[in-house]
Amino acid sequence: MLSRDGVSGLVCLAISVILMTQTFGLPPATIVPIGPAFYPRVVLSLVIVLSVILIALDVRAMRIARAAAAPAVTTTGSAPNYRLVLATFIEFGLYVLLLPLLGFRIATFLFVLSLQVTLEWPRSGRHWALAILVAAATSLVCYLVFQDYLSVLLPRGTWSNM
Amino acid sequence: MNHYELLLTHMGTVLHAQYLVPLLVGTIAGVIGGALPGVTITMTVIVVLPFTFGLDPLQGLAAMIGVYVGGSAGGSITASLIGIPGTPSAVATTFDGFPMTKKGEAGRSVWVGVWSAFIGGALGGLCLIELTGPFASLALEFGPWEFFSLFVFALSMVAGLVGRSVTKGLLSGAIGLAVTIVGPDPILGVQRFTMGIHPLEGGFDFLPVLIGIFAFAQLMPDVEQIHAGQQALAAAETKVSLKVSHLSVFWDILCRPFILLWCTFIGVVIGVLPAIGGSAANIMAYDQAKKFSKRPEKFGTGIPEGIMASESSNSANVAGSLMMIMAFGIPGDAVTAVMMGALTIHGIQPGPLFISQHPKVAYGIYAAYLIALPLMVAVIWAGSRAWMRIIMMPKSMLIPIVLVLCVIGAYALGNSMKDVYVLCLFCAIGYAMVKARIPLAPLILGVVLGDQIEANLIQAVSTDANPWLFITRPISGAMLAASVLSIGLAIWQHRRETKRRAASAADEEEDTDF
Repeated sequence: MLSRDGVSGLVCLAISVILMTQTFGLPPATIVPIGPAFYPRVVLSLVIVLSVILIALDVRAMRIARAAAAPAVTTTGSAPNYRLVLATFIEFGLYVLLLPLLGFRIATFLFVLSLQVTLEWPRSGRHWALAILVAAATSLVCYLVFQDYLSVLLPRGTWSNM
Repeated sequence: MNHYELLLTHMGTVLHAQYLVPLLVGTIAGVIGGALPGVTITMTVIVVLPFTFGLDPLQGLAAMIGVYVGGSAGGSITASLIGIPGTPSAVATTFDGFPMTKKGEAGRSVWVGVWSAFIGGALGGLCLIELTGPFASLALEFGPWEFFSLFVFALSMVAGLVGRSVTKGLLSGAIGLAVTIVGPDPILGVQRFTMGIHPLEGGFDFLPVLIGIFAFAQLMPDVEQIHAGQQALAAAETKVSLKVSHLSVFWDILCRPFILLWCTFIGVVIGVLPAIGGSAANIMAYDQAKKFSKRPEKFGTGIPEGIMASESSNSANVAGSLMMIMAFGIPGDAVTAVMMGALTIHGIQPGPLFISQHPKVAYGIYAAYLIALPLMVAVIWAGSRAWMRIIMMPKSMLIPIVLVLCVIGAYALGNSMKDVYVLCLFCAIGYAMVKARIPLAPLILGVVLGDQIEANLIQAVSTDANPWLFITRPISGAMLAASVLSIGLAIWQHRRETKRRAASAADEEEDTDF
């Protein structure tokens, strides 16, 4: 059984091996002594070697820990709330997907409001009003500043046309 | 008139309202732009550029120098207060600035950064005035072999930044290099690893990668710890103040003269070398400060040395970059590239003859740079309540706003959703790396340097296919030897640290036996 170091090493190893196989489909050198595959192979070889070292170090560390019968490490503080992390990822992903469909103003308003509510549920009408105000202000101020003053053409929604 | 008489005369000129106002406005814009996550100095200076077309060259340059100096320091405010670098050149400031803020020393964290930037910038200014010629001559000696070796050296140095594992640091740097191999190769334009995905054909831009890696990596640990009902209370109870004794901050800085001088020197040298820029200078300086420190294990826990190293080098880097366009007409980074564009619009061609042909503009640049430094301090001091408001915002309110700014920052690069999708991808990668305890800084340096390492490697072997030249050319060989030494030193430091920890654990065990 590997710890997070070993798993990280395995993931890096798998990806770099897959990419390494793709380098063999690249054309050979013509104009210069080294072709388009040379540098990627050097870099991917480096990733592979380092991943293998990381896995080996992890296996060794696990063996030593087992031999010493080290007591389980107790964590202090509160446990991480991965549900909130997952919710944030999903809402952010939806925001990015809806941005070209709803347009910057609507998508940003909905994203800022929903993420605020997800991260901390408003406990009173005043908190709800504040959350809505922050969402509206973020959406409009960003739009005005970037669209009108900084000449950044923020996405217009294909559904909403705004 | 001698060198310094000319400088004083031009300082008097720049203090006139017609130059001082653009300089001040540029400094304010720079500090705000630098402090806003996702808005870089480059973007701010591009925004300011159209306003400079109607001004005379020195007025326009004064505004841009204000943006550059203000932005360099402004990036550190966000880095210290919310742990997200406002600009790539403030990445290393987050390592100690944010932990110091978390310890309740937000004022000290910000002002150690600001005063270090001021002193580093002033020392860098002296170098700008005095050493433009000699440094330019040194950089002229560099061929592709030397640049390749220098970039390898920079990456190997970053291995020392790693908290507990050199392997993970090097792996992170290698992953950064791997990010840059996606897209067209520099000679034939052959597409590599795009997997038929059209938006990948241009490769990954550096900025969405940087924002993505740092945005979620910094924000998600906060999200993990948010508990409904406690957040508002915690915010109300945490009285964050930027008030601080400036004398004690000065003492913090001046009692560490070696770090200050060495990191300023690194900043200037990195600024002189083309295309490396502040994003690498602050990380290299941080690494050096850690290596030379008597307490390297304290780095990353919120100590002033870390902030000083990053900010002094970052500020001095501006002087180095200016040196580069003034001496060679080669932009040290994107900001100086915009400045060069502004100069050419006014019919001025920067290069070796720039100072002799346009002394008013050249000495005006020196003067504007030196005056921008106290202006930057004044702007940050005057706006200190505004910076406080950023950190006093509840995390549930701040996180969505920061994420929106990150999306805008990525989108604004090319007015395209492609960069936003890249941002999303690297948000996930950044968070995964945090959970795997793989350091982020080497990856960023790898992404910054990857393309240049490949380009210089190809240029070197195309010029002469003999690979031994990388070792036999003195500067290149010295850089590669320094790379090996750097990794060796990092491994030795980590082993020493592990042994020390094991010894102290054994001591504790003995104590408990009795």
